[in-house]
Amino acid sequence: MKRGIAAYAVGAYAFLHAPLLILAAFSFNTSRFTVWQGFSFHWYAALTQDRELIESAANSLIIAIVSTALATAVGTLAGYALWKRSIGWISGSLYLSLATPEIVTGVSLLAFFQWMFRYLNLRLGMHTVILAHVGFSLAYVVVVIVARLRSFDPALEEAALDLGATEWEAFYRVTIPYLAPAIAAAAMLAFTVSIDDYVITSLVAGVDSQTLPMTIYSLARRGVNPMLNAVSTIIVVLLGLMVLLSERLRRT
Amino acid sequence: MKRLRSVFLAPTSVILAATLVAPLAIVCVYSFLSRGAYGGVREPLSLENYTRLWDPLYGLIFWRSFWIAGISTAICLVLGFPLAMFIASSGRRKTLYLSLVILPFWTSFLIRIYAWMFLLRDTGLINTALQAMGVIREPLPMLYNDGAVILGLVYGFLPFMVLPLYATLERLDASLIEASADLGARPFETFFRVTLPLCAPGIRAGAILVFVPSLGTYLTSDLLGGSKTILIGNLVQNQFTAARDWPFGAAASLALMIIATALLFAARRSGEELL
Amino acid sequence: MNRRTFLIGASSISVSAAACARGPRLNVYNWSDYVAPETIPQFEQETGIYVRYGTYESVQEMLAKVMSGNSGWDVVFPSNAFIQPMREMGLLAPLRHEWLQNLDALDPTFHRPPWDPELRWSVPYMWGVTGIVYQTGLRPHAWRDLWDARMAGRITMLDDEEEVLGACLKMLGYSWNSDDPTQLRKAQSEAVAQKRLLRAYLNAEVRDQLVAGDVAAAQAWAVTAAQAIQSAPNRLAFAFPQEGFGRYCDNAAILRESRRQEAAHRFINYLLRPSVSARIATAMQTATANGAARGLLPPSLRDNPVLYPAAEVLARGEWGAAQTAESQKLRDRLWTEIKSA
Repeated sequence: MKRGIAAYAVGAYAFLHAPLLILAAFSFNTSRFTVWQGFSFHWYAALTQDRELIESAANSLIIAIVSTALATAVGTLAGYALWKRSIGWISGSLYLSLATPEIVTGVSLLAFFQWMFRYLNLRLGMHTVILAHVGFSLAYVVVVIVARLRSFDPALEEAALDLGATEWEAFYRVTIPYLAPAIAAAAMLAFTVSIDDYVITSLVAGVDSQTLPMTIYSLARRGVNPMLNAVSTIIVVLLGLMVLLSERLRRT
Repeated sequence: MKRLRSVFLAPTSVILAATLVAPLAIVCVYSFLSRGAYGGVREPLSLENYTRLWDPLYGLIFWRSFWIAGISTAICLVLGFPLAMFIASSGRRKTLYLSLVILPFWTSFLIRIYAWMFLLRDTGLINTALQAMGVIREPLPMLYNDGAVILGLVYGFLPFMVLPLYATLERLDASLIEASADLGARPFETFFRVTLPLCAPGIRAGAILVFVPSLGTYLTSDLLGGSKTILIGNLVQNQFTAARDWPFGAAASLALMIIATALLFAARRSGEELL
Repeated sequence: MNRRTFLIGASSISVSAAACARGPRLNVYNWSDYVAPETIPQFEQETGIYVRYGTYESVQEMLAKVMSGNSGWDVVFPSNAFIQPMREMGLLAPLRHEWLQNLDALDPTFHRPPWDPELRWSVPYMWGVTGIVYQTGLRPHAWRDLWDARMAGRITMLDDEEEVLGACLKMLGYSWNSDDPTQLRKAQSEAVAQKRLLRAYLNAEVRDQLVAGDVAAAQAWAVTAAQAIQSAPNRLAFAFPQEGFGRYCDNAAILRESRRQEAAHRFINYLLRPSVSARIATAMQTATANGAARGLLPPSLRDNPVLYPAAEVLARGEWGAAQTAESQKLRDRLWTEIKSA
């Protein structure tokens, strides 16, 4: 029985990882077609020539960095406050934001933004995308922080207070250092989620905010493209490393 | 303390209000309005969008979405359970094996779907390999159908099933299994009458975690289903973009939202702490 | 002012500052594969105007984005049937002919087009017809042939309600632009009947699949057809359906919301330059509305029967016409029903 399950597990892991490995393998194929014709970095070089790809990658990075910074900061504070005492509607809303299908989040944000723009002289753009990303990353950050806080001894903070620290000092000097790995892990998680988002971003993006997933999507719709294989491999490797690092940090 | 806490929660409240509460409220209002000449939203308040949703045509879409989500969940359960068992019984390497399951999930969802497009096309790797080996002569149509969508969903959400199952299996009291064996039950019987029922909470959690996102999926059916497999997510997206019928799209999203929330509520009440 | 607002403000400012430093000064939204590789860079070099160039796959996609009136795009390329509706919605800016010196280069047949006789709102760019691209060996010559069960799973139609409904209407013997609800409903049921034979609804995206051999027959625009045939000359061919077909013309137009009217005019004027237009037509295999440019084309392209069909063939075609608001609403609804079936 154990042998059987182990053999099965090999198959299951192959199923999970093979598609991406194959995708990566063919990104080094000299030919466009699914017949192997030789090893080459040609498609990776081609990536640097594609202006649209580079611009959308830059946009994605900017959006991810800004929204991650905001979401992590806000989420850490919120996680801490909720850990002390949970507030019904806020916890409920965070739960709801995790549970809401992406398409619903996307269209509702679009509707809300366009409705607001009747009264403000604004339009869809980087700022709407960043706000949307902060919105959906927040819950992920809070989950990670609260999980970490579950193993934190409140007595440590109380001791600090007894020794004359203010609440803020106690938080800043005692709790934050304890939370540091979790904060880093949460940040990486938020970054990953932001870089990869297609559905919500495509709905609320403006002229100046074409992101990498949007470019990938329109390329994917047109069929198979080795340049797409190349950019996919790069993204998968980068995000994979980030996730591994995040997991490591969460478990320290 | 209270002041510090309210300061800490203020930004979150504002963000939640702006990105969750207000948007959903607007969608709610729009669902009762009507479409303008070429698009846009216009005054006459009515229930027309909801009565239109009641049309069997759209009922079919909802039914198809449930069906596909249900099958994907079932397959995830069957495929995920042995994997969870393997990880739970692998001693020191647990973290490694667990990471190997989680890892693909956190790398780009879109790219993982594209990987399957690459594999399943008529001139993709699988067909080319099978033809080269002489197994088939004509390429198999593996893309642009319900099967491809289900495959994409299973591939995408399998980790969501494995994790809760693993969590429950890990906490399983091994002595109960031993007791069952001592009392003369064969391994098969032990599995179905002792192990499985004890894993019920994990199964429920995993099922919900796979079913709800599968129900509202958009990308998978869009890229793998080829604009023939229309699910609820595709309907909503279409109404808010090319079809330019926001009020109807709003009604459809609310319907989806209510169903998803109801399911999660039901799961929560049976004691699952998912957050 | 709380910390979050400040941070958002600061980051927005820095991002916009970074953008302005390099100065994107014209936003152009066009169909995919509709300019030659050097068209935009050459314009940027000549004028020093940085162009942000976005593409779309369907006119509905473009309309959905610009309908809000604050999309940020300056120049768009609607097809002729949408010029009037866009005017009615107040989306277009009137053109100033004094800034369009190259306007005379247009082919005489496009000097007074039915959808915009004085060219006040649009400038014809590229035109074509909708027909059937197929793998040689098959012989579809009518729309009816796309309902052939022998090709099941390898047929595609355009992801566009006007095109699909139009083809069905022609097949039933009605006008491409019919606004009669009974006729439209019959067309819709034909489309639904076809769905189980269809592989997918695809626009220009079908080109790669035609070339790769995944698709046997596709409803496609002449430009997609010409591009596909160029990639696979012996394996693909184009047919002008017997029952009749639709004609389209994509036009350059400036959005009323644009604050860069002068730069937009300069861009359109640049596109009207015969050498530029000829270069685009050659590189992208499109049929240009620019008469002077056509004269500059190599004979193989100038007389390409797919792009410039003979007059008696063209006579079977109908220009797509603007629909009334009521009719458009019905068509949109029927299309959702077709897609949902």
